[in-house]
Amino acid sequence: MSFVPGLGIVKGMALTLRRFFEPKVTVRYPEVKADVPPKFRGRLQLLYDEYGTIKCETCFQCAQACPIECIDMGGIDTKGRYHVHWGAPETYGERREESALRRSGRPVPDAAYAHFEPIDLGPVDAVLEEHDHDPAHMLAILEGTQAAYGYLPVAALKRISHRTGAWYATIYGTATYYRHLHFEPPGDTVQRADAAERRPGDAAYVDALSAAIGGRVH
Amino acid sequence: MTVVARTWNRLTLPGKVVFTVVPLLVVLAVALVVALALFGEAVLEILGANLPIVRFAVAATAILLMTIPTAFLIIYMEMKGIALMNLRIGPDRVGPFGSLLSVVHGLKVLMKEDFTPTGADPTVFTLAPVVVYLSAVMALLVIPFGPGLFGVDMNIALLYFFAVGGLTVVGLLMGGWASFNKYSLLGGLRSAAQIISYEIPLTLSVVGVLILAGTMSLNQLVQNQAGWFTDWYIWQQPLGALIFFIAATAEANRTPFDLTEADSEIVAGFATEYSGMRFGFFFFAEYVNVFIVSALMVTLFFGGWNAPFPFPATSLELDPASLGIGLLLLIAIVPVVATLVFAAPFWLLRPAWPAWYGLVIGFVLFNLVAVAAVVGWAYVSFDWVAGLVWFLVKTYFFVFVFVWMRGTLPRVRIDQLMNFAWKWLMELAFINIFITAGAILVIDALSSGS
Repeated sequence: MSFVPGLGIVKGMALTLRRFFEPKVTVRYPEVKADVPPKFRGRLQLLYDEYGTIKCETCFQCAQACPIECIDMGGIDTKGRYHVHWGAPETYGERREESALRRSGRPVPDAAYAHFEPIDLGPVDAVLEEHDHDPAHMLAILEGTQAAYGYLPVAALKRISHRTGAWYATIYGTATYYRHLHFEPPGDTVQRADAAERRPGDAAYVDALSAAIGGRVH
Repeated sequence: MTVVARTWNRLTLPGKVVFTVVPLLVVLAVALVVALALFGEAVLEILGANLPIVRFAVAATAILLMTIPTAFLIIYMEMKGIALMNLRIGPDRVGPFGSLLSVVHGLKVLMKEDFTPTGADPTVFTLAPVVVYLSAVMALLVIPFGPGLFGVDMNIALLYFFAVGGLTVVGLLMGGWASFNKYSLLGGLRSAAQIISYEIPLTLSVVGVLILAGTMSLNQLVQNQAGWFTDWYIWQQPLGALIFFIAATAEANRTPFDLTEADSEIVAGFATEYSGMRFGFFFFAEYVNVFIVSALMVTLFFGGWNAPFPFPATSLELDPASLGIGLLLLIAIVPVVATLVFAAPFWLLRPAWPAWYGLVIGFVLFNLVAVAAVVGWAYVSFDWVAGLVWFLVKTYFFVFVFVWMRGTLPRVRIDQLMNFAWKWLMELAFINIFITAGAILVIDALSSGS
């Protein structure tokens, strides 16, 4: 039952005969334009100028405008100083690097990447000495550092990275994973005042809103 | 060196031939016309006395000319058919539905450079496509297209067919050998091996029909199958027909047995060094071969020009002359009136269209109806038209099957090809012969005993 000689040929011929009468998929291009999604941008490619050099100045404007953030790019900045990248964080750790973010016109959102103030590294070194500079005890080191400073200063994290040999990104990841570790100094009132200063409309808005709904917003 | 001599030296060999032969032919034609005008009656008398020779010359010319539109049509069918099976549209730019694209291909091939490689044997190199093409055309001579529509009615037509058809191998080998290219030679040998191998089951598969019919004349074979479609030999020789079809596919170098031009394996086989019209003739020959093989399939197993059912004898009593002056009026008025009548519904139902749309559609519809009427009248009135129509319908059905197979099946390997021919087809053909002969013996014994 299973094998009839020529059955495959018959099946194939039946398939092509069905295809023969099916509607066709060809788009007659110059007369008919294919229906493309509105956000379709075509193929991404870099253009060359008349001197044969790439026109791209690594300004990241395209990456910034890209609605689905699919653009990865890297290159030397216009002054020829830094190698800069733009891309998905899995591909390029540098994407969130300060220079890249600044060049792209975005605010630097993460305290861990902000310029850090120099601090007294003595307590960190003591903690590291206590744990024998062993990256396997990273959580204990971080907890000790936080106990010493009250928070995790970026300078201390860089110090830990240098001394233990662990990648900064790994330490950063460990620190962000645990809720009880934080990068900001414990001065909530100051930060709130900061926010109010940055967005002066907020206070008036909150007042109006709480008046409207019966004083339940604080 | 004079200008003439320099121009002459710059011509290629085919160019030299053309530039000598064409003026010669023109002069000859003019001389012929003059001679006919002067000695017309005497010539007619001589022609009348040698009717068989004249008939043969006319038939050969007609068949030679017929191959050109046939090949164009089959090439178009192939391009369009395979495109449709691939969910593409296929040719749609030149002519209605792209039907003139194969003509454009022909012109393109004509305009390309006709190149002869250094070291090639120019005579054999040029003759090879001619041999391949002419063997195809000569094989067509014995095919009966309709009652009375055949080149020659030989009593050994089938034998002649296979003999002349086998000449293709000679042409392929000539092309492969004269190209001065080892790949061409290998390709030529390979296609020769393939065609010779499949010639055996092809010929053996027909023997069953020969035993049944007791004749080799194709004309006689077709007449034997007259009547209902149950009288066709396909019902008595299904195995023979199957073997014949498979072997014929290989014989015509068609997919899945198109190893001769397996461009993925051996560039283009024997045709590697060919370009221009000499290459074009190889491909013309291939498509003519498809037609021939389909025609022979129809002739041997599917009743040739016989209709599948006995058509009730009808005759139209039309005597246009009896209308007198009315006939002239009819010729003048009917096209206009019919065009307007056919256009009227479009004017009524589609008022948004410009008026000339309706006129054009009406004119085209009128032409279609008129052509259908003329063909229908010819079908009823002339025996040979009816035969030709049925023959062409059946033949082009098999041409379509070849195209269909090309759109479906992948190419086999050379060892699979050879194994299949020698280990399966030949044995099956022998079994077919034995069974047929045995059955005839048994039936004869039974009928004589009772």
